[in-house]
Amino acid sequence: MEPKDIKEIKTIIDLMKKNDLSVLEIEKEGFRIKVQRGSSGQTAAVAPLQTAVPPKAALASTDAASGLPKATESVPLREIVSPMVGTFYRAGSPDGSPFVDIGKTITEETVVCIIEAMKVMNEIKAETSGVIAEVVAENGKPVQFGQVLFKVR
Amino acid sequence: MFEKVLVANRGEIALRVIRACKELGIRTLAVYSEADVDSLHVQLADESICIGAAPSTESYLKIDRIMSAAEIGDVDAIHPGYGFLAENPHFAEVCESCNIKFIGPSSQAMQAMGDKNAARAAARRAGVPVTPGSEGIVETESDAIKIARKIGYPVMIKATAGGGGRGMRMAHNEPSLQSAFHSARHEAEKAFGNDQVYLEKLIVNPHHVEFQIVADSHGRMVHLGERDCSIQRRNQKVIEECPSPLMTSSLRKKMGHAAIKLAKSVGYENAGTIEFLVDSNKHFYFIEMNTRIQVEHTITEEVYGCDLVKEQIRIAAGEPLSEHVARATPRLHAIECRINAEDPAKDFQPTPGRIDFYYAPGGRGVRIDSHVYTGYTVPPYYDSLIAKIITVGATRINAIERMRRALDEYYITGIKTTVPFHAAIMRNGEFRAGNYDTGFIERVMSSGKLDLTSRPIRLRE
Repeated sequence: MEPKDIKEIKTIIDLMKKNDLSVLEIEKEGFRIKVQRGSSGQTAAVAPLQTAVPPKAALASTDAASGLPKATESVPLREIVSPMVGTFYRAGSPDGSPFVDIGKTITEETVVCIIEAMKVMNEIKAETSGVIAEVVAENGKPVQFGQVLFKVR
Repeated sequence: MFEKVLVANRGEIALRVIRACKELGIRTLAVYSEADVDSLHVQLADESICIGAAPSTESYLKIDRIMSAAEIGDVDAIHPGYGFLAENPHFAEVCESCNIKFIGPSSQAMQAMGDKNAARAAARRAGVPVTPGSEGIVETESDAIKIARKIGYPVMIKATAGGGGRGMRMAHNEPSLQSAFHSARHEAEKAFGNDQVYLEKLIVNPHHVEFQIVADSHGRMVHLGERDCSIQRRNQKVIEECPSPLMTSSLRKKMGHAAIKLAKSVGYENAGTIEFLVDSNKHFYFIEMNTRIQVEHTITEEVYGCDLVKEQIRIAAGEPLSEHVARATPRLHAIECRINAEDPAKDFQPTPGRIDFYYAPGGRGVRIDSHVYTGYTVPPYYDSLIAKIITVGATRINAIERMRRALDEYYITGIKTTVPFHAAIMRNGEFRAGNYDTGFIERVMSSGKLDLTSRPIRLRE
């Protein structure tokens, strides 16, 4: 490999770190490279509640937060976002058990949480199917439109 | 005084309200759509909550989400700005029932004046002259024809649920009245969900002169003079000035008195504007009342020496009218130019997009109310107003020369704006002489004599 190639690869690695990508594959003019980041010592930050725009489904995403060892290519996680403004509750009542937890299999019709708005308890449906990978929103805390509630594999 | 206010609007007026709140030591909560994430009002507010997707119907018009945000944010009051829900009596009612103070009139007063036909009836009852027209809603085409024969052509068909220059059709003769009557009703149904229309005599080339009134909750009401808003393009105001070039102190007394009488008759509180048409014989006729703060409130502030938005907040908090407002008299002359993200050379086609470089003029007597900045992207979902430039001068011609000077300094790249259009108007003989009416812009644009070639400075960015 030429010094120029190593410099390019270093740039790629920096870009990946900066944008929190796990895998990046590049192919151009007969040159192909695949770079994969390990999750050792890496904990991805949970999206802060005051983030205005929900992160769009990225090409590659962090999965370090779920604590899985990085051996294979990461699967992009889907997001369940809030369709309204209100207070997020994980259970149907103060002492009830949460509708879903990490590892729970869900379908589109599964009620995943309650968002209370103006004293009305709205049951929020998953509208996607899969397995809950992450509970992002905090129980009892306000959520805004578009805010990420759960991540689903 | 309130501790926290929710600003239920966007753009320059949201910024205006936030500035007033900051000066009064009130915390602010901005609500915004996904398209307004980077908006200045969101960045400057103490807190912000995203309430929906870009389209207004998905965000700024969603009463339930706004009230939810108000609840979460634990606000005392909501300022609705102008447009959106500012003149929605149901919204005002919801605020009232949630014990959150709506900064504006009561929902009843809003209702009374919001229905344009009912407002005309209220004006008649209060002895305020109205444009000759139908006594009420015109139900059938034959009724329309009968009334038009009586009051004489040309006539205006107006939607009772319309306003702000929308939902209006003109007819110069009976055949055109027949088609205009039906298309106006159809359009009104689509735009306002209410197809009821009334008829008014079209006063040819009038001046549009409106009066600012302010009333507290202790029964005190004053007027703060007039604004001349005749310079309009397609019924949208583009330039406003205070005082009106055609005003005399006796006419101001008469019109001001009529404005107050009408507003008092509906128990109006807070800031509002009564709109009149003035014909070439200086006869004035009531057309409608705007039960909110207006875009052009700025020129009244400069001439009468007051902060109308702060006054709105004080009144809503139960304070009596400020003495300096109650006793205000006009000094100086002010002009406002509305700068839109539109290309005047291409029939004012909207030009949303990224502002690459933004430099606003300054100096003595120049005020800029704007939410844009270098790097800001003007979204395509809302109105095209990006800035208001206001100049103040000792005399009318001073204010005009100052506006001309300031517009020549205004440097905005990346998008087209109406700055060159305004710069050309400031140089126009008719405008400078104060000889204009609501037909002025049409005439000057079709004459093709307006020089729209920019003469901006070139800044080294």
